[in-house]
Amino acid sequence: MGILSVITFLPLLGALAILFIPKEQVKAIRATGILAALASLAASLYALTSYDPGSMAMTGLPIQFVEKFSWIPSFNIHYHMGVDGLSFPIVLLTTFLCFLAAVYSIGIKERVKEFYFWYLVLEVGMLGVFCALDMFLFYMFWELTLVPMYFLIGVWGGPKKEFAAIKFFLFTLFGSVFMLLGILALYFQTSPHTFDMLEMMSAAASGAFPREFQIIVFLAFWLGLAVKVPAFPFHTWLPLAHVEAPTPVSVILAGVLLKMGVYGILRISFSILPAGYEWFLPYMAVIAFINIVYGALCAMAQTDMKKMVAYSSINHMGYCLLGMVAVSATGFNGAVLQMINHGLITGALFFLVGVIYDRAHTRDITAFGGLGARVPVYAGLMAMTCFASLGLPGLAGFVSEFLCFLGAFDKWKLFTILSVSGILVTAAFFLRMLQKVFLGPLNEKWKDLPDMDLRELVSVVPLAVLMLAFGIWPRWVLDLMNPTMTVMAKMFPGMFALVR
Amino acid sequence: MIENVWLIPVLPLLSAAAILFFGKEGEHSKMPFLGLAVMGWCLLQASCIFAQALLGRFEMPYYHTIPWFQFGVFEMTLGVLIDGPAATLLFVVTLVSFLVQLYSLGYMHGDPRLKRYYAFLSLFTAAMLGLVVSSNLLLLFACWELVGLASYLLIGFWFEKPGPAYASKKAFITTKLGDCGLYVGLLLLFASTGTFDLVMLQARAAAGDLSLEVATAVGLLFLFGAAGKSAQLPLFIWLPDAMEGPTPVSALIHAATMVVAGIYLVARTFFIYNAAPIAMGAVAWVGLLTAFFAATMALTAYDIKRVLAFSTISQLGYMMLGLGVAGYTGALFHLTTHAFFKALLFLGAGSVIHAVHSNDMRDMGELSKKMPVTTATVAVATLAIAGVPGLSGWYSKEEILHSVYGHNPTMWLIAVFTAGLTAFYMSRMFFRTFFGKAGDHHKWDHAHESPWTMTLPLGILAVLSAVAGAILHYTGAFARIVDPALILAAPGTPEASGHATEALSHAAPEGAEALGHAAAAAHEAGHAMLHHPPDFLLPGAAMFVTAAGILGAWKLYGKGDFATAKSLREGFSWAADTLEARYYFDDFFLFLVGLSDRLAAAFFWIDANIIDAVFVDGWAAVARALAWLSDFVDFRFVDGAVDGVGLITGDAGASLRRLVRGQTQEYLMYAALSVAILAVFIITR
Repeated sequence: MGILSVITFLPLLGALAILFIPKEQVKAIRATGILAALASLAASLYALTSYDPGSMAMTGLPIQFVEKFSWIPSFNIHYHMGVDGLSFPIVLLTTFLCFLAAVYSIGIKERVKEFYFWYLVLEVGMLGVFCALDMFLFYMFWELTLVPMYFLIGVWGGPKKEFAAIKFFLFTLFGSVFMLLGILALYFQTSPHTFDMLEMMSAAASGAFPREFQIIVFLAFWLGLAVKVPAFPFHTWLPLAHVEAPTPVSVILAGVLLKMGVYGILRISFSILPAGYEWFLPYMAVIAFINIVYGALCAMAQTDMKKMVAYSSINHMGYCLLGMVAVSATGFNGAVLQMINHGLITGALFFLVGVIYDRAHTRDITAFGGLGARVPVYAGLMAMTCFASLGLPGLAGFVSEFLCFLGAFDKWKLFTILSVSGILVTAAFFLRMLQKVFLGPLNEKWKDLPDMDLRELVSVVPLAVLMLAFGIWPRWVLDLMNPTMTVMAKMFPGMFALVR
Repeated sequence: MIENVWLIPVLPLLSAAAILFFGKEGEHSKMPFLGLAVMGWCLLQASCIFAQALLGRFEMPYYHTIPWFQFGVFEMTLGVLIDGPAATLLFVVTLVSFLVQLYSLGYMHGDPRLKRYYAFLSLFTAAMLGLVVSSNLLLLFACWELVGLASYLLIGFWFEKPGPAYASKKAFITTKLGDCGLYVGLLLLFASTGTFDLVMLQARAAAGDLSLEVATAVGLLFLFGAAGKSAQLPLFIWLPDAMEGPTPVSALIHAATMVVAGIYLVARTFFIYNAAPIAMGAVAWVGLLTAFFAATMALTAYDIKRVLAFSTISQLGYMMLGLGVAGYTGALFHLTTHAFFKALLFLGAGSVIHAVHSNDMRDMGELSKKMPVTTATVAVATLAIAGVPGLSGWYSKEEILHSVYGHNPTMWLIAVFTAGLTAFYMSRMFFRTFFGKAGDHHKWDHAHESPWTMTLPLGILAVLSAVAGAILHYTGAFARIVDPALILAAPGTPEASGHATEALSHAAPEGAEALGHAAAAAHEAGHAMLHHPPDFLLPGAAMFVTAAGILGAWKLYGKGDFATAKSLREGFSWAADTLEARYYFDDFFLFLVGLSDRLAAAFFWIDANIIDAVFVDGWAAVARALAWLSDFVDFRFVDGAVDGVGLITGDAGASLRRLVRGQTQEYLMYAALSVAILAVFIITR
């Protein structure tokens, strides 16, 4: 059994173990859940020690830790796992965030057994999506994330949890139906029929897919992937789902689940359907711009902190889209780095919003004031995370945003320049939030508000440390992905003349 | 020595972290001494480097880089580039930082968050020094944003008060607006040249690789960024409000160092402006108009710090103007001398505020009797900024005015008139504060001279304000190391800049040679201008307006009788109102903020009520389509089936139809529920 299977299925082992623990033994269940997530994290870190980013001279994707054996021979379906510079950083992000959120989930008091069960199943699904190199397997994992997330929002969520869960479910299901059609179309277009992504990529490189076919299939995939990103106009499920989801689930939702969309676009839409991708580029540039500016402005209109952060996610994923329209090593590096950084930063933001909500039972920005003097540690971490999110140099967000802009500017000057205004709006709404919540005279109502406790610090501080580390030395992440991104940007010589 | 220059920004960064995370917070915290000690070391090191630079003891520019990160084929570097301006600023920044940290021991005495204050001060200095030494524009931009952060944290240091909380945000957002321009400029520059390295860029520019369009656009965009940071028109609005911060902070950040970052950026990329006459012209005009309008706004202000803030804006305008008319040396000279006397003015004002616990000049007056050291030192600074011959401000301002005259006499006229205004409003401030009659007797009675930690920095700065100009002017050392020819020519020797020579080798040799000649000519012309004694007209006019300004202020404010001033204020109330409203720039930006808020609300309304609704209704449409499909299937199925079976499936179809036509959500829910219910059933049992 390869290391990727170990990483992916360790949480499942934990989930199964939890089934055998009586539901009264809450502590044992929590410990099992956290340990399973920790084991998966440890395994992924172990894999990191032997991961070779790949030399610049390589022409193929530096796929590693490959596991491949026949699964359903009659349909040529394989159990095929492997990671490269695109997926491996996200796998690390996933195991890392899942562990932190599992620790934070100690705060979940109701139906703990089911919570951790679904939580670990969700982790399996997400990890599988990023490791799978067989379309069928990929789709299995993709759908596997859906049901746990539905329950995690619908059972442990806020006042409108049922509606939020259903909305999330419907949007995603709607998208994945089209994606399934796309997958089947690809399967039948290849000869011999295959679900293998790498074979599809080489088929695409050798021109096996006609342009019109690619455009149609691209659109089918777009419906599936854009919902997850979320790209305008398929984003309206996100604010509601985020607001209603319990804190650790919001963290996973923003930190990992959204990455499935961007990952899919790079792994499938770009690598297998380059002509469709090329055709769609102008629209994608517009969508990126809308995501950035519209998302930021919508965030500015919020008074609910969590909703504000949710809309800021739409804005930040717009940077990923912007990086992807560049079709260059610069832009791709930016997009993937932005995924990682957004996971760290927005993950931390959702934790922090959860911290205040647990204490005050409100997230209304206008309900606070002057908390900076009362809860300095919380204020410091929140300020740092907000500054990271608005792209302050020295913290993680800056380099990735900059690379996205730098990549896109080459050919999409107008939309890139217009998108820069999103940076200003982002700064405006984060600073306004900081001012209203932490500065000014202390609102007497909160004079006894306690500062962060150990559980919360354990969840947030590692993220803060990485934000700073990756901000100062982005090389630690970039070196993992750069060779892959360089290869990907050159994967289709002769294409993307428009953007080269 | 010069090899260790990287320590100068890094040490304060480490001390900032140490102060923030170690030691006990409180008014008796010992951590400030760590900050002070580190700053002292940096000052020592920077002084050595500045001295060596002036004496020509090391090859300039000193250039050294290490790899930072890589994307695609591009490599970003971290590095230092020490040329004349950088060496000068290293000295200025470390000196003022050190003095301000010393001064703050007295000024911030008893503040319960002393430790945090010193951590932020050190963070600021680290970022500022990083900005000064950085060898590439990306690192410079990073430090540029970090000084903005430090400024935000320090303006809002007393964050419990609504004023500082608001002002800090305003400062950050306004400068961020400028930064957006700078950001786009960086993108454009990189797209055209593929590098952010200053030495390589200089080589490209010297080789004529920078097209006119790109140079112009980049120049204008950088100017917009510089206008934000250096509080130029129209983005100056944040600086007067930034005075809500502690006064030593105003002296350090909002007078001597951070606000000159914009000037420094233009100077650092002077080779771009040199290739873009339009951008250069814009720099000159922005500078001139800022100098003039800010000076007029200073005329009516009553808050002593705001007078100084407008004065800073105005003087920064002079520096911009100097750069815009190719008076590169003069502009940086003025930057240096201004740092001394403006820091002194702020620290002196802080000493006064510390004594009377008010910012309002109407509460002051007659303080010369109570605060002799403060009075004497502020007097030196006032005379220096007013442009009294012999003091440092005279030399630097003269150099700028000289360049302006050579460029465009009309601009010179406005600039000289502004110099008169400067002498007037500075004298007004001085007389109202220290002479005349006490405005508030209770406060006057309690006023006292400040402790030595505060007066010592005043004394040191007073000496520098008095003599620095003359020394740097007459020795000619400053003009030698801050020479436009050095930044306009192809950069230095092979060992100094390996990259640059590599880049240069691509350029056509004859072009490089021709440029070399041009550079040499520029060099000589520059020297000729600096050493040639100026005509009678220029210094004469400057002396005249200075004298007129000081005398006018004495007449109106010197004796503590403000009747004439009041009648003037009433006679020109429309003008005074306009000035007090700062030409309505604030209102304009507030209008923009309101507009963006309304835009945000509108977008959110669209999001919630249109886009979301389209999808909800869209689901209904999808559901109807599915219902139709299921009808269709039913029909076919029933038609072809055995009657009994048909009946059953017919019923099933009907119930499914009901399902579909009911709540749309429920329909698709069934798909998931059927998968999930079983699992729930198992684990909850």
